[in-house]
Amino acid sequence: MAGTASPRSEPRQRALSRFLAAASAARTVEITALRRLRGGALQENWGLDAHFSGGPLDGEQRLVLRTCAATGIAASLTRLREFAVQKAAFAAGVTVPEPLFAGEDPDVWGKPFFIMRRAPGIAAPDRITGDRALDLVLPAIAERLGRELALVHTIRPPRPDLAFLAPHAEVGPAQQIAGFRAYLDRHRIPRPVLEWGIRWLETHIPPPAEPVLCHHDFRTGNYMLDGGALTAILDWEFAGWGDPHEDLGWFCCKAWRFARPDREAGGIADRTPFHRGYEQASGRSIDPRRVRFWEVLASVRWAIIALQQGDRHMLDGERDLDLALTGRRATECELEILMLLDPGREPGARARQPPGQARGSRFAERRGCPSDV
Amino acid sequence: MSDLPSGVALLALARDVLTSELMPLLPEEHHPDALRVARCMAIAQREAETAETPEHEFRDLYGAGTDTDQPLRRFARELRIGAFENSRDREACARAILWRLTVAKLRRSNPEFLAANGFD
Repeated sequence: MAGTASPRSEPRQRALSRFLAAASAARTVEITALRRLRGGALQENWGLDAHFSGGPLDGEQRLVLRTCAATGIAASLTRLREFAVQKAAFAAGVTVPEPLFAGEDPDVWGKPFFIMRRAPGIAAPDRITGDRALDLVLPAIAERLGRELALVHTIRPPRPDLAFLAPHAEVGPAQQIAGFRAYLDRHRIPRPVLEWGIRWLETHIPPPAEPVLCHHDFRTGNYMLDGGALTAILDWEFAGWGDPHEDLGWFCCKAWRFARPDREAGGIADRTPFHRGYEQASGRSIDPRRVRFWEVLASVRWAIIALQQGDRHMLDGERDLDLALTGRRATECELEILMLLDPGREPGARARQPPGQARGSRFAERRGCPSDV
Repeated sequence: MSDLPSGVALLALARDVLTSELMPLLPEEHHPDALRVARCMAIAQREAETAETPEHEFRDLYGAGTDTDQPLRRFARELRIGAFENSRDREACARAILWRLTVAKLRRSNPEFLAANGFD
């Protein structure tokens, strides 16, 4: 059965029921619904409804089983490690679905997995950024997300429960730059814009920061809203020690503004409420130059991830339209890198549109950071 | 010479049939995949209509025809080591090439994205 049975097969569900009962000290667990949830390019998420008889979860429970997709990318944590990170975030008071159990017995699911509570609401970024009915609450959501991020950043090394995370000295900007170049050396097609952007990063590395736990994919699309309220921060698979400005820059990277590229904080607000929430909750001031560095790095990083996603289709045998098209998106990041580092020199560019005119695109223009190139 | 309609014209027609006639018949859950298929066809159509980056893009930087190395690969390698940073003219030339390469690629793969960023 291991590794081959369909997730919905009876033997697989019986094994999962037994696992849940043992893990929760229930007499029995009956699975009443199991369906693949949408989203998740690197992981599979399954909605799992179950009736627990006995134990602390006694009654109906709405859960998520999270496991790996057929192929992945190297930067992603294993599910058991992601489970540990999510537990640490939950304990720190971050709004995450409570992680409950983790397992790696192949007879249960065929591959490692963990179980968490299922938060209500939507994560779909085009809906969150494009639904005008949400416009009034989104600045408050941005401020709340700033506070949530400050909570994430209260988790600092050393942490025995997170000892598997690479030391910050091994994953700082210089190491990331080396990793980008190593990937480009293996890539089939030269990427001059990425090389140029990486060179800029190399010559503008900020002084070292006190490391904190960074989510490393803290962005619109990875949190859930329900009725205009934040219900969950998701997808902790890239978490690691880092400069807190990494997460701040990533959140504001143009790639994550979806239907509202004019709203620089994740397509939901301008930066002010997001930064205010972060600064008030953390007690630290945000350094705009550091944010800019990490925002350029974010565009390079997302370009590399996009290329790697394309590789999963091209090289790793995971036949998938979405992955194939994601590989094409690296060039969009390259345009953003040029616009960030060489503003005002775009050939063929029209006069700039007023904010909001580019609705419907995932990306559009942004200014406001001085160029020191 | 190929028969007519051309491959490009067939792709355009097939894409139109997919989006205007077939998609409404599909269950809504399959619409995202149908749109992705349509997008793939549009990219293939535009790439068939336009040439790859011509080597003359690099003539200002490297001169004409004397270099046997692939100019794109050489350009990337030299950007990595900052080879143009000591000459304002050569750096300006390199940046102009970066812009042209990027805009040309996006015209083929995602012109809507370019338009949203203020490019004609």
